[in-house]
Parts: sequence; C-alpha cells; structure tokens
Amino acid sequence: MSDRKAGVYLCKGCGIGDAVDMDAIEQVAVSEMKAPLCRQHDALCSDEGLKVIQDDIDGGEINQAIIAACSHRVMTDRFQFNGTQVVRANLREQVIWCHPANDEDTQMLAADQVRMGIAQAAKFDTPQPWTEGDFNRRIMVVGGGVTGLSAAREASLTGHEVLLIERADSLGGWAAKWSRRLPHRPPYRDPQDNDLGALVSEVEGDSKITVMTGALVTRTEGMPGKFTVEITRGGAAVLETVGAIVVATGWRPYDANKLGHLGYGASPDVVTGVELEEMLANGGIRRKSDGQAPKTVAFVQCAGSRDPEHLPYCSSVCCGVSIKQALLLVRSDPDAMAYIVFDELRTPGTAEEFYRQAQEAGVVFIKGKVKSVGADLTVTVDDALLGEEVPMTGLDMVVLATGMVPNSTNPDAEAEADEFQEQLKADINPAVPIPSAGFANGGEGEEPQEGFPWPWKDKTPTGGSILNLQYRQGPHIPMLADGFSDSHYICFPYETRRTGIYTCGPVRRPMGMAESADDAAGAVLKAIQAIGNAAEGAAVHPRAGDLSFPKIGYDICTKCRRCTVECPFGAIDEEEDGKPVVNITRCRRCGTCMGACPVRTIGFDNYNVQMISDMISAVEIPDEFAEKPRILILACENDAYPALDMAGINRHQYSAYVRTIPVRCLGSVSMLWVSTAIERGYDGAMLLGCKSGDDYQCHFVKGSAIAKERMSKVGETLKSMMLEEDRVISEEVSIADSARVADLIDRFAGKIGELDANPFKGF
Amino acid sequence: MTANMAATIPGQSARKYDLGFARWVYENIEGGDKLSMCMQCGVCSGSCPLGTEMDYGPRKLFMMVRAGMKDAVLKANTMYNCTSCYSCVVRCPRGVPVQYILQDLGRAAARMGYQEAKTTDNARFAKAFIWSTRKFGRTDERLFTFKYYLSFGLGEAIKKAMANMSIAIKLVKTKRMHLGMPHRIKGTKDLNAILAKAAEIEKREQGI
Repeated sequence: MSDRKAGVYLCKGCGIGDAVDMDAIEQVAVSEMKAPLCRQHDALCSDEGLKVIQDDIDGGEINQAIIAACSHRVMTDRFQFNGTQVVRANLREQVIWCHPANDEDTQMLAADQVRMGIAQAAKFDTPQPWTEGDFNRRIMVVGGGVTGLSAAREASLTGHEVLLIERADSLGGWAAKWSRRLPHRPPYRDPQDNDLGALVSEVEGDSKITVMTGALVTRTEGMPGKFTVEITRGGAAVLETVGAIVVATGWRPYDANKLGHLGYGASPDVVTGVELEEMLANGGIRRKSDGQAPKTVAFVQCAGSRDPEHLPYCSSVCCGVSIKQALLLVRSDPDAMAYIVFDELRTPGTAEEFYRQAQEAGVVFIKGKVKSVGADLTVTVDDALLGEEVPMTGLDMVVLATGMVPNSTNPDAEAEADEFQEQLKADINPAVPIPSAGFANGGEGEEPQEGFPWPWKDKTPTGGSILNLQYRQGPHIPMLADGFSDSHYICFPYETRRTGIYTCGPVRRPMGMAESADDAAGAVLKAIQAIGNAAEGAAVHPRAGDLSFPKIGYDICTKCRRCTVECPFGAIDEEEDGKPVVNITRCRRCGTCMGACPVRTIGFDNYNVQMISDMISAVEIPDEFAEKPRILILACENDAYPALDMAGINRHQYSAYVRTIPVRCLGSVSMLWVSTAIERGYDGAMLLGCKSGDDYQCHFVKGSAIAKERMSKVGETLKSMMLEEDRVISEEVSIADSARVADLIDRFAGKIGELDANPFKGF
Repeated sequence: MTANMAATIPGQSARKYDLGFARWVYENIEGGDKLSMCMQCGVCSGSCPLGTEMDYGPRKLFMMVRAGMKDAVLKANTMYNCTSCYSCVVRCPRGVPVQYILQDLGRAAARMGYQEAKTTDNARFAKAFIWSTRKFGRTDERLFTFKYYLSFGLGEAIKKAMANMSIAIKLVKTKRMHLGMPHRIKGTKDLNAILAKAAEIEKREQGI
C-alpha cells in the first residue's frame, strides 16, 4: 500500500489515562513517529469512541487505525472497521495492569508500545486471499465401517457429495460381524441390537454417496479443495477430484498369536473376543474342541493391552465388550458362569450401568493380573484384593479381550520407500524437532524419556500408506508412537498434520461404535470447514479465517529446501530443481517457513520479517548510563501472549524493561529478529512458546521444537559478537501460567541486570 | 496370608479353590444373590467394630467367595464375630446385606459339619446363651457364664471363673447379678414350642 494514512487513537479508559501521561504519548506519536493524526478518547470502545474513528475513515483522513488501548485479543468485534486496517497497541493488559502507575518505566513502556504499533502499521498490508481455479466440494471418506458409514451419511445430510472408499468387497467393517452392540441408549443396561445394517442400507440408497468397494487409494495429490486421488479397483485405476478427505480406516484386533503366555494356540478353547463375537453371531458360543456349550468361562481383560511388550495403551472398549459377552452367555444359559478377570475395569460414563447389570446377573468380577493361562485352561490370577495367586480351574473356555491396533497403515500394502521411512520415524518421534535432511541434527533427536512406551523406536509400522500422499514429506499421515494418527486429543481432535485430511474413529484413538459415529460427525464438520475456507482463500484451524499466505521471493530463493523440510504440515512441495511450491490451502499460516528461510524471502502481507524487525527497531533504547536494560520478548500468540495478558488481568507485576511482540508461532521467529535486537542495543531476548515434545501443546505441532533447535545456534552467534550466551533464552509457557510467566520474566530481568549493558547500545 | 488364616486351615483340603462356590453362595445363602453387587470398596470392613477380631473382614471374605476359597471361607471365624450391629448393612453403597450373608454362612458351616462352627469362642458362647434361653426363658448371667466356661472343660472353667471373680463380686454388689434361685419366665414351655417351630421352619426351608 503506497498511500498510507495512519491515525493513532489513544484510549484513556480502564484507568489508562490515570496511569500514563497521554499527552506525552501523543507527542511521541506525532512529533517523533510522524503520525499524521492522533486523537485521545475517554473510552474508544464506546459508541462515541468508535464514531470518532469511523468519522476519520469516512472523511478520508485515515486508512489505517492504530488503536492504543486494550490487548488485541479483546474487543475485536468493536474495533472492526469495514475494509480499514486495524493495528492494536496493548496499553492495558501489558502496561498499566502489570506495572506501577505514573512511573517513569511504565511511561517509557507505553510510549514504546505505540512506537511499535506505528512501525507495524507501516509494513502492514491487507492480505488478498488466494482463490485461483476451481474448488471441489466433494468429501472422500476412506473406510466403510461404522465410522466411515456415519461420516458419509453425515456429510450427505449436509448436502455434500461423498465418495466412500472401502477396501473390502462389502460395507460394514468389523462392526458388521457383531450380533449385539454395547448399549448407547437409556437405560444403558442391555446389549442392543446391531443396527449397522440399517446404516449400510441408508448409505447404499443415498444418491449423494458414491460407494466404491474393493478399492484402494493409490495416489493422493493436491490440496484442500483440489485433491486429485487415484483409486485402484480390480487392477483398474480411476482419477477423482475431491475437496477434503476423512480417514476412517478403523482398527484391527491385536494378533493373538503373540499372546502365547495367555494360552492362545495352546488350547483351541482359548479364543479372542472377536472370535467369540463371531460365534455369537453364528448360532452361539461353542467350544472349538468338542462343539459343546461352555458352562464356565473366564474373560481375561487387557490381553496384550496396557503392556509395554505389546500394546502400551488401553483399548477402551474391551471391558464393555467382555461384559456384553458375559451377559449374553449367562442369559442364554442359566447354568453358565462367567468370570471377568480385570486389572482395572474401565467402564466410563453410562458403561457403569452396564457393569452393574452384569453384576446383578451374577457375573463374577475378579481383580488381578493374569499371570498365565495353561493348556488345561487353568488361569492363574495374581488376585490384588486377596494378595495371593489364585488358580482358576475347571474352566471350559478362556476368552482373551485383545486390544485394537489402528489401521493408520494398510497392513497389506507395501511399506513406504526407504527415503520416507526415516521421515516417518522422525514424524513419529516427537522429540525430533526437524525431520532429518542434513540440516538440524541428522534425525538423531534426544531419546524419549525413560519408561515411555516406545514399541516403534527402531521400526516403522508394518504396511504401506493409506492415502499415498504425493507430498514432499512423504506419503503417510504423521502418527504417534503407538500408531494412532497424531492429533490433539482435547483441543483439536480431528486435525491431522495434513490440512484437509481428518481422521476419526479408532484410527485416531480406541473407541466403540457409538463414539465412532459421533467422531465421524466431528471430522466431517472439519472437512466441510476446510472445503469452505479453502474456496474463500482462508486458513483453517488454528488461524481459521486468516486470508494471508506465505509468499516466496523466487528471485532471491536459494532452493535450500529448509522451508520444505521444516513445514510442520508438509504444505510446501519441491519441484525437481528444489524450487519450493506452496500449496496454499494446505498451509496453516504459522510462518515456520518464514522463520526457516535463511535469506528471509518468505513473508505474509500482514506478517513478515521486515515488519517485526521494524517493530524491534522502533523501541527507544536508553543509553548504558541510564541503567535501564531492554529485553525483547517474542511471545507465541496462542499461549504465551494470552498468559501475559492474563498476568495483567491478575495484576501480577513484572519488570517494565520488557518489550513484547506477539508472533504467530515460535517457529516463525527469524533469527534476524534476535540479532537485530542485540545490534539495536537490547540487553537480552526471551522466546516464549508452547510445550514441545511428545506431549506438545504447540498449535503448529513442531513450531516450538524447531525454535528451540534454532536457538541452540544463536549462542554461537552471540559468542562471536563477544556477548554472553545466556542473553537469549527460550521458555515454554502454557496459557495457565500467568503467575509463572511474570516470575520467569523477573528472574531473567534480574540475570540481565547482573550482566554489563549491551556494548552495542548507541551504535 | 496371615498366621491366623493358616491356623484356620489345618489340613489343606483337596481343592483349595472351587470356582463353583461363588455361584453356590449366590443361590443358597440368604442375601447371597446381592453379593454379586459387591464392588470391594471395603466400607463394611472399615465399619465393623469387631473387624480386628475377625480372621478376614467381610470385604476380603466376599472376595474369597469369588475366588472359590470354600474351605477357607467356611472355616473363618468372621461369621461368629458379627454382633449384628448392622453398620455394614447401613453403609454398603451397593446394598449388600452383609450381616445376613455372614449369619447364613455361619449356619451353613455348622450344617456342613465344619468344626470351627462349634469350637470358636463365639460358637460356645452362643450355645450357652441358647441353653439358658431354653431353660429359663431368659439369660441368667451366673449360670449362663459358667455354662460357657464349662465348654472348655471343668478345670478351665474354674480357672476362668476365678479370674473373673472380682468382676462377679462387683456385679453382685451393684445388684447386676444375683445369687439366689434363677429367675424363670412363666411360659418356658411355650417359648420352647416357638423355638422348635422356628427350627422346623428353618429345616424345611433348607430342604433338610
């Protein structure tokens, strides 16, 4: 924008006017920063205050409003002027609420906040959304089990066309094999009829749903709104275009042949829960050895689950399934006895009613770990409540409640090419900040902490990729150590690390039929949002609605590949010669590419290296004799910046020597900013980001880990400038850390105070 | 395993664990059908004023029923130490009638000929109690106590009586125990007829 007319609006409300000398601030804005217009108001967010700004806009006085009032996180609906850029300077939460009133340092901080706002506005352009070409609105659902069927139906009900791909020759998946299902309606006490057949008929009769059975996805390329998928069916491949993808590939039972210690294979009458379920659906429970109906049956819970040697996690449904099977057994044969041997019975929510029902029916529950199951069906239990080993003898049948293995890979397909195996491992290992490509640490991340279940430490999951993504970062959807697709369980459960591709059902975490159906609805809603936003050129979670996107200056680009390697979402592909190509609708706008770029030629219209550099430089640095150090804080806008706002709300006081700039993600922090700060005379810099590692809280998955990795290089730079390494630190802050963040700042400020002033001051 | 428990199982029976026992208890013991609801919280054992005197508290005894430890359960002194205060019944969150179950387990043990049902302290005491009731229609503290002492043999009875002499004198002085002829109710015969009828009903219910 060539013709900028920025107006500065100073709000005196909420006590700002009482704590800070606003006339002095106005002087800074007008005389020093040459703002063409500056006005003060008692309460800018009031109708009168807004009218002041609107009148200036209407009168052509300004086309940018710099509002120095509260945090940019609040009053967003008030300070919104159709088409006019708004820049916010935070004088309330981070100035007057956490620093003493009418204090020299508080005044200097307030002035610097306004300086930074004016500098930001000078480089701030309204982003123009990218909406080139056609955007497809069809949703592809991969997997035709209960989750996939539910997803297809939900999507169809919202008016979207659906392409449903199923590997097997018929729809239904595992759930089609069950005779009865766990209760999911009040009173939650009896096994319910399996109503999956009705869902299959609904899907098959739905004109919006195209079903392809016996089909596999052999190639996926493109981006949300523009995916091209190759589907192979009986040797013939067809190409289809879809807007978003829902992966509902479900699960498979854990291989009981690995459970020799639980007697599987030693006796034909040791069966798995799935085998028993098949018996129930085909005429009733019979011993394999003699075809007789068993009278005494023991169910062994956690068969292979919650066992570091097998599946380290709880498969969540097995307790309910065993209760269901035991109930069906004792109800069909009043003489039969069922014993459920459990370590911890997990019957969350309404499943507790079901558990009670089984107790009332006389099913015996024994708490203890099963040590062994013999070929003569003797189950030896280490009974936790008796404190002794109890041999259970005289059993007719033993049922092993085996767990769920996620179908995050297709076990029948060929494994990924070698070049991607390492990438897959790096994606699985959350401790590795940057997948190996010869830049960071060659893929040798720090070892996972001791005791952390790590079944795939040295191997990748069997089988090949589900979608065969034609992405720079490999054909897989990144998964976790236990094989489930990676997502944030609580905050954003369906978001994989591949935009526009959403996982749901047991491929995401173990769950039963009712939960899978709900999960499918959630993932479909995400897919619909992705399609809609892609067509409008807007980002999806977590910067939903952001219209900016990374632009690469190809004339400067050295094709170093750092952006293509470091993008946490695999959004940037490479051409043959290494030229990076941004798939814009795959991008989540975190800016990690911008932080990665060594020649700083990646930027957004409203967020770029130069803009933040200018903001850093706009701060007035007192000379060394003033003994007022300056500390730059680059705070992640997702957690650290809100924590700082919250520190203000809670009136936690901290050093007024800090100058805070919100960043989209620590991953977007260019090391130029840190060196600019040091060269400008700041005495220290703090990077505040989210928790990294296997329990990462980073909204962009690897941003904070990558920042940490880059920070390790800054120390060397500081040393070469003859400065102390600990002038620059990075800390992990959660949104709830308002008290801690104030303390962290004070301690760092204390440390900086002990060091000599930055000798670059005044240069 | 406590030392106490080892003492109650002198000779190990052929089958220490019998998976059918839980079902037998569910079907044959009064209140046993509710035993399946036990969730092993231990409120019964924690509430029991005599828990410390028991080989196992009710919670553990019930878990032993589930594990099929028939002999160990029926040899336990738990049932005879219950004073029917009903604290456990009142407090059980799952509505298990603990007291009924204990009482009927004790009766079952006696019926099945478990010696412990006759030789434990409480069994002897109960026997002396019922002797006095049948004979006088009420408890005569002096004769009933001595009858209980006598169940240990004459020498032991005199020893026990002498040891408690000072208490006896105090009881006499405060007129809590008298030295004359035992008081008798008028309808001893009628009471015995009632008791006989009760025994008859019980036998009929047990199908013996």
